[in-house]
Amino acid sequence: MEEVLRTANSTPFWIMAFIFVGIVAFQAIVFLRIAKESAPDAGLSETEVKTAIRTGLISSIGPSFGIAIVLVSLIALIGSPLTLIRIGIIGSAATESSAAVIGANAFGMELNSPDFTLQAFSAVVWTMCIGGMGWLIFTALFTKRLGATQSKIEKKNPKAMAIISLAAMLGAFAFLASQQMINSANHVIAGVAAIATMIILMKTADRKHIAWLKEWALGISIVVGMTAAYFTTLI
Amino acid sequence: MRAAETGTETPVKSNGLEVFHSKAHYWGRLTLWMLIAMCLVVPLYVSFVLGAHPGWNVILVGLIGYASFIGIMWVLEPITYYPALGIGGTYLAFLTGNIANMCLPCSSAAQKAVGAEVGTRKAEIAGVIGIAIASLVNITIIVVIIFAGTAILGALPAAVHEAFDFILPAIFGAVLGQFAYKTPKYGIAALLVGMAVLFAPIFDLIKIPLTVALTIALILFMEKQKNKKAAD
Repeated sequence: MEEVLRTANSTPFWIMAFIFVGIVAFQAIVFLRIAKESAPDAGLSETEVKTAIRTGLISSIGPSFGIAIVLVSLIALIGSPLTLIRIGIIGSAATESSAAVIGANAFGMELNSPDFTLQAFSAVVWTMCIGGMGWLIFTALFTKRLGATQSKIEKKNPKAMAIISLAAMLGAFAFLASQQMINSANHVIAGVAAIATMIILMKTADRKHIAWLKEWALGISIVVGMTAAYFTTLI
Repeated sequence: MRAAETGTETPVKSNGLEVFHSKAHYWGRLTLWMLIAMCLVVPLYVSFVLGAHPGWNVILVGLIGYASFIGIMWVLEPITYYPALGIGGTYLAFLTGNIANMCLPCSSAAQKAVGAEVGTRKAEIAGVIGIAIASLVNITIIVVIIFAGTAILGALPAAVHEAFDFILPAIFGAVLGQFAYKTPKYGIAALLVGMAVLFAPIFDLIKIPLTVALTIALILFMEKQKNKKAAD
């Protein structure tokens, strides 16, 4: 087990991990640039581009810390570089832990076993890396076709795509919120407090024309939801 | 064209985003294939440079085991989230991951902040900016935590850790509120569908795509009824 973790934390793994990080950062920067270039064509002014950037920044801090807290549990299992590789790109703590367990079992070993060998670790790495490629390959191959389907729908009925996007968003988050809220009464409090805060903030921002409030709305609502739930656990 | 559709947009060319889309396809696919190549390098290194090959049959058993319950998501997730993410958003979100708990919330927050209606060109670009920034913030925070990791997290008071147990319902609730506040009727319809599917005795992994499909059908139907009434 110690030998495995020593290998998993060795320099070559760190180098590979930083290539992954580099690709993620490179893609984000490229898309930021091409989006900025096309902003005038889409009716987005320079100030609005800045607003979008600020909002992305404010809104992503909470979720990013949420992700960071769970990734610590993976470090103990597969070492830091591989955790960086798997969580930095598509992959969540839940899917990756299950991939690790399945890979180890395929080799006929328990993940936490003290005599975990390098070959068993190799089986885990194969399962995680190839298993995570599924999303990447599908998106690389078929996003163009999805785009063509969208254009076809828009040509036939220009308003339909707007309604479909809204409904897709509502459906996904209605489900995700419900699924979380049935966990416990505290989860219900978190969800309901966040929904209520968001509605109040958005209505206030609309009525009083407070633009910055919309930038902070998601961040504030998340913090209010979490805090409200935490305080109810103390009662 | 689009200006007439939404009423709030500044006038735009009807095909103003074609350049953006072709660039997005080019860079999106390039970066994805780069990443796919890297995903092969790591296990090949362990097997053949370190000489710890577990055997192809073991790899196959592992992959089949994993794909048997996750494989369906490789196809369903991109299709499910595409209408909300758009072309650029899909390339970004499926490379960086954390779609529901980070990318979509940041995309929609950016859209709302600039006052863009969902499904418009303006919303698409604002969303891409939101996700790209989120991806950068996320990778930075992850790198910092990996290095200073346990030290930073250990310094946080226990109360903060406990509060983070509730971040998921808070994120999902907040995003739901953001989309439902203008059309509460649709929000309630979506919640009813979501609850019904949640408790339906079906395979867990297809529940989100199913909720999305049913909600789209239901809301399209409600719109149709509304238009019919308006026409009468």
